Amino acid sequence: MERFFELLIAAVLLAGLYSTMAYGLGLIYGVLRIVNLNHGGMIMAGAYAGWYLHHALGIDPYVSLLLVTAVAFGVGIVIYRGLVHRLPRGAAGGVQSLLLLFGVWLIVRNVAYLLFTGNDQTLRTSYSTKAIAVGGALLSVNRIAVFGVAVAILAILHLVLTRTYVGKAIRAVAQNPDSCTLVGIPVERIYALTFGLGTGLAAAAGLLGSTLFPFNPSFGAAELLKSFVVVVLGGLGSVAGTAIAALILALVEVFAILVIPAYLTAAVGFVLLVLVLVVRPGGLFGQRVLG
Amino acid sequence: MRTTPFVSVLCAVTFAACKPSNQQQAPGQGSAPAASAPSASEILIGATLPLTGAESRIGGFFKEGYELAFEQATQNGGVSVGGKKLPVRLMLLDDTSAQATAASLADRLINSDKVNFLLGTYATNLVEAQSVVAEQNAIPYVNGGGAATAIYKRGYKWVFGLLAPVELLAESMMKWIDAEQQAGRIPKPATIALLWENTSHGKDFRKGVTDFANKGGNYKVAVDESFELNGKDFSALLGQVKAARADLFLADAHLPDYITMQRQFVTAGLCNKVISYGARGSEKQAAEALGKKNVEYVISAVWWSPLLADKNPLAKKFVDAFKAKYAGRLPEWYQALGFETARALFTAIEQAGSLDKKAVREKLVAMKVPSLLPGGALTFPAEFGQQSHAPFVVQQNLPDGSAPLIAPPDAATAKGIAPNPNCK
Amino acid sequence: MKLRLAPWIRPREAVGLLIVCAVLALAPLLHGNVYRHNLLTLTFIGIAAALAWNWLGGYLGQVSFGHAAMFGIGGFVTARVELSLGLPLVPAWIVGGVVAGLFALIWGHPTLRLRGPYFSIATIGVGEATRLVATYWDSFTGGSSGLSLPMQGNLKYTMYWYALVLAALALGASYALRRSPMGLALLAIKSDVDAASDVGVSATRLQDLVLFLSGSTIGVCGGFYASYFSYIEPGDMFGFDRSISWVLMGVIGGIGTIAGPALGAIIFVILRENLIAYYPQLYLGIYGLLLVLVILFEPLGLTGLFLRVFHRARPDLAVGGPVVEPPAATAAVSAPKTGEAK
Repeated sequence: MERFFELLIAAVLLAGLYSTMAYGLGLIYGVLRIVNLNHGGMIMAGAYAGWYLHHALGIDPYVSLLLVTAVAFGVGIVIYRGLVHRLPRGAAGGVQSLLLLFGVWLIVRNVAYLLFTGNDQTLRTSYSTKAIAVGGALLSVNRIAVFGVAVAILAILHLVLTRTYVGKAIRAVAQNPDSCTLVGIPVERIYALTFGLGTGLAAAAGLLGSTLFPFNPSFGAAELLKSFVVVVLGGLGSVAGTAIAALILALVEVFAILVIPAYLTAAVGFVLLVLVLVVRPGGLFGQRVLG
Repeated sequence: MRTTPFVSVLCAVTFAACKPSNQQQAPGQGSAPAASAPSASEILIGATLPLTGAESRIGGFFKEGYELAFEQATQNGGVSVGGKKLPVRLMLLDDTSAQATAASLADRLINSDKVNFLLGTYATNLVEAQSVVAEQNAIPYVNGGGAATAIYKRGYKWVFGLLAPVELLAESMMKWIDAEQQAGRIPKPATIALLWENTSHGKDFRKGVTDFANKGGNYKVAVDESFELNGKDFSALLGQVKAARADLFLADAHLPDYITMQRQFVTAGLCNKVISYGARGSEKQAAEALGKKNVEYVISAVWWSPLLADKNPLAKKFVDAFKAKYAGRLPEWYQALGFETARALFTAIEQAGSLDKKAVREKLVAMKVPSLLPGGALTFPAEFGQQSHAPFVVQQNLPDGSAPLIAPPDAATAKGIAPNPNCK
Repeated sequence: MKLRLAPWIRPREAVGLLIVCAVLALAPLLHGNVYRHNLLTLTFIGIAAALAWNWLGGYLGQVSFGHAAMFGIGGFVTARVELSLGLPLVPAWIVGGVVAGLFALIWGHPTLRLRGPYFSIATIGVGEATRLVATYWDSFTGGSSGLSLPMQGNLKYTMYWYALVLAALALGASYALRRSPMGLALLAIKSDVDAASDVGVSATRLQDLVLFLSGSTIGVCGGFYASYFSYIEPGDMFGFDRSISWVLMGVIGGIGTIAGPALGAIIFVILRENLIAYYPQLYLGIYGLLLVLVILFEPLGLTGLFLRVFHRARPDLAVGGPVVEPPAATAAVSAPKTGEAK
């Protein structure tokens, strides 16, 4: 029973990270209908940014979080304006934007490699191994902090999307870009903004992840796929949907160890992805991914 | 559009593309030439190492070892071949830790650059792939980077390995644990939590532990799980370990996984009477990444340690030379093995007195020379497929930051401590 | 007795291909450089694989990032049947190819209902899941230790001709798949699968066929790879980087064209050869850059560039669009046509 409780808590904490990771991807897809294959690259970049600031300047990752997110936001806008902007919108843009952003990911990977070498890096702070006891289970302080930050980010996102003009504009564009132009919403600017936001979120998730796991320039591929699982399962635009889907993924991953050999638990996310896409491509909330 | 001109262009381009960069074409030559090298004015030795890619850090260390050996040979005026001293040159290429690249580069070194002999790369799968090329081209391949017995069980004649198998690593460790058990410091029977990375290395480690455990009946393996190399999250796995409440925690991991796992191990409040990560444990990088307190009493077994300099004169010579070249930095087993591998090849060449591949090979087969390796001697026993079976040394991290040798008895510099005093 | 060719085969092109193959077949006897010989062998295997990838990615428009799964399966099945059943080379390759093709059908048939990016993402999942399972499946793949095949005399040298035949067959199949009436149907499916079904094109069956062909050809390439290197290992065979390489070859060479991916494969080999000594870790970045440039400026990749250069005097040619001549044209090659840009 104690084990069950431990696993459950572990899943919940992990779900926080997953939802932050997935939200950026979902946002970009929901508004621009583009699958951002550079998502993994930006997660990795965020991890390196946090690590570098800590390693070279001693800044605690949770303190540099805001800075890194802001810079990534800017980078996202640049990527949009410079590259994605040039592609035709709509169906024709589908595979092309996929490949384009994939190319960007390869470049980002290579740059990280040149700057930091391919070696694994770990972020070690004074509290990296601290744990506190909660009801018989030992919880890592780091994981709790990551969870807390993730929840905060999602809460802020929710507020922004529902209460602010920009947020509502974003949601409007997601629903119907043409009508938005008619009512005077600067659609192109919203696109750029959304792309930047999605990129910033990815970097933030990467930074949070760097406090928990080691990483190298190839980091991000598995995270990309997990984000995709969450997005497809949870639907787009709904923070609650994303959170629930993230929780489901985390639970399946964590509890899988009771059923299958530990080594294969790494495959769980991938299998789940394929199953969800094939069996219930509409996700739990009925998105159109066919045709 | 017409496909024809297009296809012709394709072919022309392909053909031109495959021009080797080093133009050393011997006209009319088919497969590898049988005997002497084209130029007898120098000895050209080819090698690849993972200088970039996943194993670049260690590749760099091996490079240091190779370079030191070549430097010393050059300082001596070269390697003596039948009375004459010939300069010896290393042609080192980067195989980027990729198998196909390692094999292709070996091909290139042999057939295009026409090297006389090959030194091996690092990482079992790279060595396994590359050694095939060496065997196919009948050229001696001496390596200090591939430990899996699978490499040497293929009946190859041209491949020689200085790294003892990982099963032996596990056995060395178990022997010390056994001695502690006989002395009553570890319970009898003792339960083992065995975690191993799903690679050749890990599998061999597991085999070594389970073989030993099954021999006496004094051990029970309670957890036996593999994990993916460069995994991120071991918490679920460690949860299983915690539930098993094992006496011994024996894992086999590469450095990054060691750091990750140990961090999660400590965070989860785990503590076992004996903790080991196979060949990892005493690395400075780990102590920095984890904090000295969190690596205390971890034991590891390695192919070589600078502490051997205490009792082995060749080891001392090597350590002194290395420190002189690298501003007082101590070498680890990587550099030592790289150095010794090159030295073994030079010795074989000198003994053969010629650059004939067959002759050098025969000398390698029969080799029995003093060495900086534990045990003091280097041989390539035929019964093990020409893989050295020099013993391992076991180390333990002590609270004062040192990592003395605790086994085997003839190399030990301190007594090992068990059970782990940090566990309450 | 005249040889009757299908109406969509242009004799000039068929003969051209044969001549080129003959030249390449005789080449080793002329240059005698073993290193170049081996490099060409690998290039031929790469050409066949890139072309096979393109049938799914270019002709059908379903970009796969997980083709290494079939490559690995083909390779390991081939190795296994050789080791355990003692099958000779060619049957072993065929068995490997067929099993790989069937595997492709298993995951691909249901997944092909998905369009565009969703299919691609699913393929990443398939590729990685297959890799993990294969690495775990010790008894079949040898796990992380891999499988070593016994050396067979001069096999590595003679692989050149086998690989040449494979590449030629792949090129021929590429040509056939595109120029034949079936090629039209594939184009229709690529543009609008619903409309295609409406006019009687059996989308599912055709997709399955292409999937099987693509998967099995890549599987055979895997078998060739195993025979060539005599040692294979799951991490290497099923790796994501390997899957990516075919995407790059296909797109940079010219996605959807007949021979473009072959060009992409060659460029891949050239770049690697020349970078290997000095800038080994730059490939990904360079390919990424090329990919970005291709997508932004020249969707048909190097083939498109080639066409622009050679047809600059032919403004009537529409570069990039799916312009197709009626397949019922006579076999006789008459006046230069406004052929499609493929």
